[in-house]
Amino acid sequence: MPQSQHAYVLDVMAEDHPGIVASVSQAVESLGGNIDSCSQTVLGGYFTLIMIVSLPEHIPPNELAERVRTAEGANRPYQVLVHPWKPHAGSAVPEPTDRFVITAFGQDQPGIVRRFSQYLASKDINIVDLYGHREAEEFVLIGQVEVPKRWDIRMMQADLEDLGRDLGFTVKLQHENVFVATNQLRFARSA
Amino acid sequence: MLRTEEILSTIDMLHAEHLDVRSVTLALNLDDCAAPSIDHVCRKVRQKILARASRLVEICDRVGAKYGIPVINKRLAISPAATLLAGHGRGAAVRLAQSLDTAAGECGVDFVGGFTALVHKGTGAGDDVVIRALPEVLSQTSRVCASVNVASRKAGINMDAVHLMGHTLLDIAAATADRQGFGCAKLCIFANIPEDNPFMAGAYMGAGEPEATVNIGVSGPGVVGSALRRRLATDAKLTLGDLAEEIKITSFRVTRVGELIGREVAAELGLAFGIVDLSLAPTPTVGDSVGEILKLLGIGQVGAPGSTAAVAMLNDAVKKGGLFASSSVGGLSGAFIPVSEDATLAEAVAGGHLVLEKLEAMTSVCSVGLDMIALPGDTPPETLAALIADEMAIGVINDKTMAVRLIPVPGAKAGDVVDFGGLFGKAPVMAVRNAGASKAFVHFGGRIPAPLQSLGN
Repeated sequence: MPQSQHAYVLDVMAEDHPGIVASVSQAVESLGGNIDSCSQTVLGGYFTLIMIVSLPEHIPPNELAERVRTAEGANRPYQVLVHPWKPHAGSAVPEPTDRFVITAFGQDQPGIVRRFSQYLASKDINIVDLYGHREAEEFVLIGQVEVPKRWDIRMMQADLEDLGRDLGFTVKLQHENVFVATNQLRFARSA
Repeated sequence: MLRTEEILSTIDMLHAEHLDVRSVTLALNLDDCAAPSIDHVCRKVRQKILARASRLVEICDRVGAKYGIPVINKRLAISPAATLLAGHGRGAAVRLAQSLDTAAGECGVDFVGGFTALVHKGTGAGDDVVIRALPEVLSQTSRVCASVNVASRKAGINMDAVHLMGHTLLDIAAATADRQGFGCAKLCIFANIPEDNPFMAGAYMGAGEPEATVNIGVSGPGVVGSALRRRLATDAKLTLGDLAEEIKITSFRVTRVGELIGREVAAELGLAFGIVDLSLAPTPTVGDSVGEILKLLGIGQVGAPGSTAAVAMLNDAVKKGGLFASSSVGGLSGAFIPVSEDATLAEAVAGGHLVLEKLEAMTSVCSVGLDMIALPGDTPPETLAALIADEMAIGVINDKTMAVRLIPVPGAKAGDVVDFGGLFGKAPVMAVRNAGASKAFVHFGGRIPAPLQSLGN
């Protein structure tokens, strides 16, 4: 949660190069602000950053965005979006879910992400992390997803395998603990 | 949040390299099924097995699907049948075995282990009944597996029992002559039998274990082989130490998969989780071979000088990886070298590269013993006993488990090929040199005393 009531969501996109985080954080600090949380990713040479920042007093979002665009060291154009931060308006009691990983491999073609994501959306499955990559003719799609506990996993696996067959894709849906268990030192307790 | 590379490397291991859980073995103490009438014993055994194990297969399939890892075999291991059979006769032993066979079938499990006698220091009444019933039991049932512990570090080697087992093997082979002596494939003769081994044919529930528990056997020679192949392809300057490290890391990951599934299956059954046993147990499928791993380690022909050192390194690296992965490691935990079940080993035997004596040396550093070895049907009983004795001596002196499965194939000569089918595979019949020359030694009988190492307390 942000530290103050004057919190903003800050989104920055730019061609990747050293110094972007330094100039953005410099701009926040110059306003007396604090970074509450942040996450960045780089894809295909492009950098994107999302931050929640708390400022000591209200400032129009456009002004904050302009401050970041013209920050010291920002010698290349940044695309910046700023929104006032609001608490997430979800349901009072969130539906219990389990974390699964969906992986799909096959020959690249338009519509892969759409077909899989539409299926997941139709089951109220939230994608919390998504990775897709084309290497030569093959496309790999990996999604970390939250599956409502009301679903029978074996039925969903059958649905996804069927969908994969239509597309010529190999698809797997597996509980995340198998990835935790095989990669991390601390043992994942079974869910 | 998981990293993409972590997900991709696990996917490689699980799908491209066909990692599976080889066996979920529900171990069950049946001592409270003892009764004066064998009918009553059999009724109680059936009720207890169905009450505890009827959901085993369904739960394994569901949990396996959740993690995307198939559980290949679901099995039962019981407390030694000898305990239930003390005071009964051979006919009762066969009745009990048939009840076990039927109950296991009703639960959908493929094997039930624990038709067991522990005779390392001497033979009790129930043990004698078990051993003498083995030819009928192993020929008249399909799921029952037997084991006889004839030696231990603390007790030495019971040579009377070893001698008896030489004769018993021939009797079992004769009783299953129509299946090339296959009954012997369902019998393990042990030194230092582990109480919690989930792998057949030697699984049973030993003393000191809980009333019921779930033990897991994970395998994965194919996974280890693929990891080595990948490492060898990407790194030109590797030492054996680097390769041992690769085996260790892979073993860690495979063991983790077993424990994950085992704990969840145990929780769903309302039972305590027992142990996970990571043993590289090959199958006849190409690629699922310990022999292939030895070749990747630079042994051009399995059986060549260096083979024993390579097995030692492999076995040790597997144990170390498993040990770090789980605080509940048990069973055999190491590398198996069952000849008929490993296509590369069988090929080495057929090519004359791997002989019985070299295999014996390799068993001194692997986690089992001479395993799934087809022998000429006319091998004298004393020679079979002496082969067993040699293996037991290695186990007793080195404080390691030895599990011997010898199959004297009726009517077969050295070089004939026998096919046991399925996971039991096929292999050439191995020549036994100096057959008959151990007769006087075996006929002395008695007990080879416990070694100096037994006084370690």
